[in-house]
Amino acid sequence: MKSQYFAGVDIGSTMTKVVIMSEATLASVIGPTGPEHRKLANRVMEEALAKARLSFDEITYVVATGYGRINVPFADKQITEISCHARGVGHLLPDARTVIDIGGQDSKGIKLKAGRAVDFVMNDKCAAGTGRFLEVMAEGLGVSLEDMGRLSLEAKNRVEISNTCTVFAAQEVVARLSEGVALPDIIASLHEAIATRIYGMVRRLKIEREVALTGGGAKNIGLVKALEAKLGFPVLLPPEPLLTGAIGAALLGKDIVGEAVEKGETLVRSERRLTEASIFT
Amino acid sequence: MTEEKKPEERKRRKTATEAASRVGPMVKAALAENLRAKEEGRPIAYSFIYSGYDEIIRAMDIVPAWTENYAGVCGVKRDAQRFLEKAESENFSRSLCTYALCGLGFDSWREETGEMPPNPPWGGQARPTVMLGSGQIICDPRYKWYQAAQHYMPDVPVYVAGLPYPPYEDDYDYRDVQGYYVKYIVEELRGLVAFLERHTNRKMDWDRLSEVIDISDRTWNMISEAYDLRKAVPCPMGTGDAMNTMVPMTFMMGTQEAYDFFKDLYDELQLKIANREGVIPDEKYRLLWGGGLPSWFALTDFNYFNSKGAVFPAEVTYRLVEPVYNLDLPRVSDPLEHLAWRWVKYWAYRHDKARKRPGSNPDVERLIEYIEDYKIDGVVMHEAFSCRSWHPGLIWQLNQLKRIYRDIPSLILESDIVDISSYNEADTRARIDAFIDTLEAVKSR
Repeated sequence: MKSQYFAGVDIGSTMTKVVIMSEATLASVIGPTGPEHRKLANRVMEEALAKARLSFDEITYVVATGYGRINVPFADKQITEISCHARGVGHLLPDARTVIDIGGQDSKGIKLKAGRAVDFVMNDKCAAGTGRFLEVMAEGLGVSLEDMGRLSLEAKNRVEISNTCTVFAAQEVVARLSEGVALPDIIASLHEAIATRIYGMVRRLKIEREVALTGGGAKNIGLVKALEAKLGFPVLLPPEPLLTGAIGAALLGKDIVGEAVEKGETLVRSERRLTEASIFT
Repeated sequence: MTEEKKPEERKRRKTATEAASRVGPMVKAALAENLRAKEEGRPIAYSFIYSGYDEIIRAMDIVPAWTENYAGVCGVKRDAQRFLEKAESENFSRSLCTYALCGLGFDSWREETGEMPPNPPWGGQARPTVMLGSGQIICDPRYKWYQAAQHYMPDVPVYVAGLPYPPYEDDYDYRDVQGYYVKYIVEELRGLVAFLERHTNRKMDWDRLSEVIDISDRTWNMISEAYDLRKAVPCPMGTGDAMNTMVPMTFMMGTQEAYDFFKDLYDELQLKIANREGVIPDEKYRLLWGGGLPSWFALTDFNYFNSKGAVFPAEVTYRLVEPVYNLDLPRVSDPLEHLAWRWVKYWAYRHDKARKRPGSNPDVERLIEYIEDYKIDGVVMHEAFSCRSWHPGLIWQLNQLKRIYRDIPSLILESDIVDISSYNEADTRARIDAFIDTLEAVKSR
């Protein structure tokens, strides 16, 4: 029987992720998201295909997810990131019952049952409680986003920093610096502020163990520790926290194809083209 | 002063029922009637919906101006911002009730210039003769808004009718205290009649009041019977339409026109059920609008739900009546006493039910009742940031519902009733999409 290949494309606010799978993951690419999602998704997809040594025509089904999912011209179907994250985490970490996803533009909590989302909460109104909060702070502190986690582990004392508004928190950080508070202490306090906010939101779901942490926030060891302190137990981390949505999208594509075959139905696919698209045409 | 802004042009929202489509012109006509009354020197009363005095105003031929409704109209027309900004420039906080802010902004503008603000939505709101607040548990602007409006209209008298009702406690029977409440409310309403006679040059015709109350009692029954028809599968009318049909329920109570409207709606729904005609052809999910006022500028979100196969057969919001024959009202000869009994009994309607279920309360009990009666798959609520009195309790209700009843899928929308700056269509619809996914996941389990 001819091999089948499935692609998941997750266009977030800051990163675009593509995963190509068959029985296992064949290739994955993570690239920054530009203002024209469709153009970039096109290029990231081509890169992933090259890594998997496949042509676009060989991909059986493509599912797009994330904020930019509507802008993917070569997807067969668009599915919400809640469903894709749930499917991805359910596959990678079957013991997880709650997912906390900290993305660049929003953060969300998802309740899982049998690998599917049955409830969720989202913070999409305010930068506080999202990756954007830390980005702004990193800029103000003159450190790279990637270094923040490591630096925060050197903290000796915590200071109080507002978690309700990114702009006010940035002002507080400047004030703390001028008071001579050590950089690691400030960064650890920022992690605590964002963890408090996210924990407060996700608690609405009645958190159940195990808890999986995904998204860019899961790559920040300081934030992970701060959230674990709030939860009172360790969290599960997928091998690459940025890819769970794309993996879930590819798996849902596989599910759709499998279901169609099982029912003897003709697979409905969109008229997809892997050409550079412009949002102006 | 804020410059005149042309409101965004919007397509008219598609309604499922013919009755709902008639409501827009009815609101327009009511506002025109206010302006005409002003010209003719007839008394106008700024009023709050559901304050127990509708029948009194009608019986005395006083023209009601429903100020919350006018703010809602400004919201629907996406033309509230300039009035909110005006109120803010008067030092009112944006975190106050945005109905009140919109109204205060409008009034201060009109009083400052001596004429209507330019191009006011549907002709504007006329200067009142009196303002009628109501002291209720549900809403603080009901007694503070008109007092604040007196800053701009110091010559317009205010009457605040105290309309309490027995709060729910699981360890006592409201019947032990209901008599005190009724007595108090009757005195408050009697004071209102005296106030209106003093300030409007109108005399209460008590026989006429009894007639008006009879019409409104019959209208309560007719509304209940019409809305009960929405239990049908497929559902013939959704919450989107109910946000229209609340107009005759709340702004026209005690009129023959309101009764006739709901009789027509009843007949229309019967016909739709006979023809198996639903809001949408392929009904997949039945949702309960479990609380919160709607975002008046975003009623098309209901159509978006419909496009995903979801309908709302029931809502808690603006379902402000119960069948009068179920309220166990005593027979009394004083029409004011009848109004007081109906008021107390309405609010205590689910006390007995709630006391039988540990952890419940009348609001949660109503959610459970609708979920069962209307075969509901999920609950949607709206947290409007500017409504401090009702909306904060919604999350508790939802949590209790899940704790004592069942873990039903739920969605909390976040925005406001009038302030469009709090709304993001893309994010709202992303949440709706995700909610539909969870409904599907739960259904296919």
